[in-house]
Amino acid sequence: MNKDAILNNIKGKFKDTIKDFSEKSPRRVYIEIDPKDIQDVVKYIFLDLGARFNTASGLDTRSHFEILYHFTFDKLGFIVSIRVKLSKDNPKIHSIASIIKGAEWIEREMNELIGIDFAGHPNLKRLLLSDDWPKGVYPLRSDYKEWDKDAIRDRGI
Amino acid sequence: MSVKLKALLKSPWVFHLSTGSCNNCDIEILDCLTPRFDIERFGMVLVGSIKHADVLLCTGSVNRKCIPKIKELYEQAPKPIIVVAIGECALSRGMFINSYNCPVTLDKIIPVDVYIPGCPPKPEAIIAGVAKAIEKIKKSKLQR
Repeated sequence: MNKDAILNNIKGKFKDTIKDFSEKSPRRVYIEIDPKDIQDVVKYIFLDLGARFNTASGLDTRSHFEILYHFTFDKLGFIVSIRVKLSKDNPKIHSIASIIKGAEWIEREMNELIGIDFAGHPNLKRLLLSDDWPKGVYPLRSDYKEWDKDAIRDRGI
Repeated sequence: MSVKLKALLKSPWVFHLSTGSCNNCDIEILDCLTPRFDIERFGMVLVGSIKHADVLLCTGSVNRKCIPKIKELYEQAPKPIIVVAIGECALSRGMFINSYNCPVTLDKIIPVDVYIPGCPPKPEAIIAGVAKAIEKIKKSKLQR
């Protein structure tokens, strides 16, 4: 299957689901979908088209939270990034860990660093932060403020 | 000088602890052991357990998860122990000074005897630093 066939397949199957489509370069395509359709789209791209799940990245923009699920077609050197936008008040999306086991840890990481809630995740606990980190403080959000009163932020010279 | 300390200064055994470093300082430390720099001529050997060590080499910006581990290691170490901070991160956290995960420097957690600056420091600098630590202890109050 070549690149055009893959894109036509995705476009044909999810005609009503795709909100935005942009081709950044010949090897890189961004597809924006609604958060509620994520499981169907991931199932199709991962299981039917046989793409590899590379990683997911979370982002805190001005108006919303954003997750990009990066799928690569290694034989073609082609990357499809699925973009979902979540509201700032209630950032919630269904987990894809039931389809892709490898997405479990990156979802845990996004949960603790940005504060996105993944519904249906099998084991949504802390991954990287230390145990004394307070609940509800997310370090990679743009409105993060220092909470630790004992922290020293000078070089001591 | 006590017999114990004299033996320590003849052949300081070194334990290497990475407190979340980028591995550059760790590579330079391993470089010291290669034939080109050969710190074994000073009797220095890397050991696998802190319980055998006389010198604790620390690299990396100390992150939150690592702080309890550092304290634990320092408690387990046989005293007297020389603590050497290697690299800009262990000294002052370098570029991670405003990071949410690096609240304090290493010398606020355990007492540090020698600071070796550089990002990463050259193997020559590390050897010079440890040699200075030995000199310092020879002259210090620990002798009594």
